[in-house]
Amino acid sequence: MDRGWAFGKLDKENNMKVVKKTSLLLIALLLVGVINAQEKLYTKEGQLTFEASVASFEPVAATHNGATAVLDTATGKIAALALVRGFRFENALMEEHFNENYIESTSFPKASFRGNIVDFDSSFKGQKTFTVQGKLTIREKTIDIEAEASMSMEDGLVVFATTFEVKPEDFDIKIPKVVGNKIAKTITVTANFDLLKKA
Amino acid sequence: MRYYLYIFIFLLTSIGYAQEDLLDELEDDITVEKVKEIAVFKGVKIVNLESTKLIGKKQLDFIISHRFGTLRDGVDNFLGLDQASARIQFIYGITDWLNISTSRSGFNKTYDLALKYRLVSQEEEGNPFTIVGYNIVNVNTELDQDILPQLTFSNRLGYASQLLVSRKFNKWLSLEAAPTFLYDNTVVEDGQDNAQFALGIGGRLKLNKRFALIADYGLHLNRVSDSVFQNPLALGVEIETGGHVFQIHLSNSQAIYENGFFNQARGDFGDGDIFLGFNLSRSFNL
Repeated sequence: MDRGWAFGKLDKENNMKVVKKTSLLLIALLLVGVINAQEKLYTKEGQLTFEASVASFEPVAATHNGATAVLDTATGKIAALALVRGFRFENALMEEHFNENYIESTSFPKASFRGNIVDFDSSFKGQKTFTVQGKLTIREKTIDIEAEASMSMEDGLVVFATTFEVKPEDFDIKIPKVVGNKIAKTITVTANFDLLKKA
Repeated sequence: MRYYLYIFIFLLTSIGYAQEDLLDELEDDITVEKVKEIAVFKGVKIVNLESTKLIGKKQLDFIISHRFGTLRDGVDNFLGLDQASARIQFIYGITDWLNISTSRSGFNKTYDLALKYRLVSQEEEGNPFTIVGYNIVNVNTELDQDILPQLTFSNRLGYASQLLVSRKFNKWLSLEAAPTFLYDNTVVEDGQDNAQFALGIGGRLKLNKRFALIADYGLHLNRVSDSVFQNPLALGVEIETGGHVFQIHLSNSQAIYENGFFNQARGDFGDGDIFLGFNLSRSFNL
């Protein structure tokens, strides 16, 4: 330990100074890391639904209960990720067709969103409506999304809920003519996240 | 001193990066479950042979199958349409892994009752095979008591048990093997064992989202040596749209249930004595 663990050629006195400075720096960095971690809220059981039903035909709708999402309360940035195979339909055959022919989940397994909450202020109390803006990526096609999101904060739990509309052609999903009138032209997507600090 | 500076800058950059992309954090978080392989087969039959597909819970499938007369007679019989033999079948999904089915075939005026149950599912990163059990009992109501006065009800019965083992190799190709035990209480030919063994093999080659080529073959293992019956072979095209699966094919069997096509296929591909046929299914969600 004569030379400490410094790399340069330094005398003992200098060496100690460096060690002290470095230790301080490292502690500071670690603290920053800890603070950062505390500002992020997560869920692994986010709920996503989509609704593409046409009245008087069989419902075309599915629910996902395993989406992951993260909100950075310091910056208002938000991101969500889901494996599209996790969408569950009432009708098993419809689920198979969705995965095989429409969303093509073997080739494009993930759907993701990254964006931010406009004018986000983490000090709000109760319920408040914000605007969320960002980019939604499905089948490697990305579109811009802007939607209203309701958020409520209580005891470190943030409940986030939003609804927006997309079109199949946004993601290059072709609907065959024969089923064209049974699938809605615009699809309503909802997301519900109960965001908490990581345990 | 500058070494620390470098480390410091490196750490800062990495923190900066982590903040910039929240998505990357989620990537590590996401739990990839073992997902079951989908769409191994589209029809509950490949052509003649049962596939490893089961219909979903509370789903009802209605299937009409036809085998026309021999093509050898040509346009005289409108390619065999004049001697069509049909089978009408209902299948119900009690659960996602247990189906019950009943049908009536024109061949030997046969009624049947069958159970199909999935034991193992192929997974994308797990089990390499889907394994399904299939049991059928059939009643030949064509046997005539006036001609055969000793006939009892049990003489009309036949049974088959199968283990269907399939693997979807990729997006396009699924293959299946089906070791089969058949028992006919009444056999047609002298010297034929009532207990019979066969190996069914079949496959599906997907061409695009709607079309696939389908084929199956049944290797009978203890047929009596001078039998007039042939091993069943079938080749066809499958078209799927929405809740319909439509299969059109050529085969050398007019029977559509196991004891019929494994044991009593009369046609012969060699001399054009084959039959045009189709299987048409419609799914209802109850």
